[in-house]
Amino acid sequence: MTRAPMSRLQPALAAVLVLTIAVFPLDHPTQYWLSVFVTAMILLLLNISWNFILGVAGVWNFGQLAIYGLGGYGAGLLMLHSPLPPWLAVLGGALGGAVISVLIAVPTLRLYGIYTSLLTFAFAEVIQYVILNDGTGLTGGSAGFPTAPGLFSALSPDAAMNAYYWTILVVVVLAMAAVAAITRSRLGMALRAVRDAPAYAAARGVSPLRLRMVAFAISGFLAGLAGALYLSFNQSISPSAMGLPPMSVDVTMFVIGGLGTMYGPLVGTALVTIVQTALVTHPGVQQTILGVFLLIVVVFVPGGLVGLVARTWRRVAEWADEDDDDEEEAADAAQQEGAEQHVA
Amino acid sequence: MSMTDVVGILVTTITLGSIYGLVAIGMTLIYGTLRILDMSQGSMVMAGSFIAWGVMAVAGWNPVIAILLAFAGTFVLGTLTQLVSVQPLLSRRNVVDFEMITFITTFAVALVFTNVALQVFGPYQKNVTPVISGGINIYNGVNLSYQALTMALVSVALMVGLGVFLARTRWGMAIRAVAQDLDAARLMGIPIGKLYPLTMGLASALAGIGGVFLGGLYFASPQAGDLPLLEALIVVIFGGLGSLPGTIYAAYAIGLIQGTAEIFVGTTWSLPILYGVILIVLIARPHGLLGKPAEARL
Repeated sequence: MTRAPMSRLQPALAAVLVLTIAVFPLDHPTQYWLSVFVTAMILLLLNISWNFILGVAGVWNFGQLAIYGLGGYGAGLLMLHSPLPPWLAVLGGALGGAVISVLIAVPTLRLYGIYTSLLTFAFAEVIQYVILNDGTGLTGGSAGFPTAPGLFSALSPDAAMNAYYWTILVVVVLAMAAVAAITRSRLGMALRAVRDAPAYAAARGVSPLRLRMVAFAISGFLAGLAGALYLSFNQSISPSAMGLPPMSVDVTMFVIGGLGTMYGPLVGTALVTIVQTALVTHPGVQQTILGVFLLIVVVFVPGGLVGLVARTWRRVAEWADEDDDDEEEAADAAQQEGAEQHVA
Repeated sequence: MSMTDVVGILVTTITLGSIYGLVAIGMTLIYGTLRILDMSQGSMVMAGSFIAWGVMAVAGWNPVIAILLAFAGTFVLGTLTQLVSVQPLLSRRNVVDFEMITFITTFAVALVFTNVALQVFGPYQKNVTPVISGGINIYNGVNLSYQALTMALVSVALMVGLGVFLARTRWGMAIRAVAQDLDAARLMGIPIGKLYPLTMGLASALAGIGGVFLGGLYFASPQAGDLPLLEALIVVIFGGLGSLPGTIYAAYAIGLIQGTAEIFVGTTWSLPILYGVILIVLIARPHGLLGKPAEARL
């Protein structure tokens, strides 16, 4: 049957985008540009996980950076102190992230909105504080984690860079597809139902508690994976990967893109990375611009840039189809209305 | 546990508790009235520290001028923050996500303030002249600096002053009325458009004065507000968002826990222990010590 033109176009656009990014290293760009892309993709993975718990599941989790950091430290410890191959260490970091995330979920189960964000935010700050002041030498404290081998220590620097680039690209594409599939599945529908109408969802037999644990587990796994990949790629991690400055960047990314939308993290991460790369020599100005940008988007563009594009597109489509609107059209519009996610 | 330990813990409790109370009470006032968790309060502490540094260390003026200027300066900053990050969103006040949106917008304002400070003052820590120097030996080597004592006294005086303001004055009663029932308050002719900026300015000014004293204890730096913000957050969760008495009890309770932890396990672990205590409190009482779900705030 006829679908809205936007949804027919989306897979094609996504395929073109992924292919373009995939062939980029073949053009022999400098290591600097490759590392900008890899770093952005790792952040994108983190933002996908954060967007899932915050936007799709509606749990105000602001402790995601702690999971990210712990995933990185966990993977690093496994690489240095266990006989596991590096890729299993990365997986271990991701699983560790999932477990810790579920553990944080427990005390938040009875909490209402803003208390959840306070508790998780404070958790992240405390984890950073503990690692900063760690004198045991296990995490390296404020100096950062001791050099870990990473995933591709056998390859030459250039080959390793390309290997990281393609590996992380595959992981990010898979993660995005998986999150999109979960969001559309019965589980995702239940998550959105609990987000939008908790009492009604519970009355219909959906268990908010179990769902919240599941959401924390999924997003914790992805955040831990992002942290483990960060550690592998940089061969180290430090407490400065957590804390307020990176949190403000990440929040800016997924909120500007559009909280709860599938492409929001992608758009936001890309845009913020462009701003940051362009102003890389002026870190203070960069952050100020991001703050102002975040403020403007939240106040004037509810739903973020993806929401804005979706609304504009729908308006154009409505205008083009003004004469031959039938019931199907109306149903399509209603469906899109439902699909367009909740405003941040 | 010796007598010295007990006295030391009491001194820490009173000084830390007072300053936590001063910063946290502003957050409570804002949350109680506007349903906003103001993440820019840390920036106000930072701004207060820089004003103190400018007035006392650079210009060499009297500490009283520093306190007055910090009050005025952060009052203006708080009012501006409200106009930029909250006022345009008020029409969406009844949307479920209002608290989340304003959490993010005030966070964005804090981000801007921190980085503007970074641009203007640079990343280095600035020594702020203490408001008052010296101290007394109270008991067997436990030292109480006059700075900490003044800080405690000023904090308590301000908290009492705020209580009197809320209980006795027209504007104070208007704030309480809005906290209890926004629509009824509007129908009684309370000018919401002026009241909201006033509330946020007032709360910010309290945090700014906190910054003058904290700057003297530590430093003035662009990140100087981060830790006070975290501590104030812990206090307001512990006491229950929106409850003024709860916040004051919680401030001293947190001071007591931190003072005890510092003496027995060292400074490094006092924050994690504090967090553990908060977790237990929230598991038992999801709205904090004196917090109430939605009604009867302030």
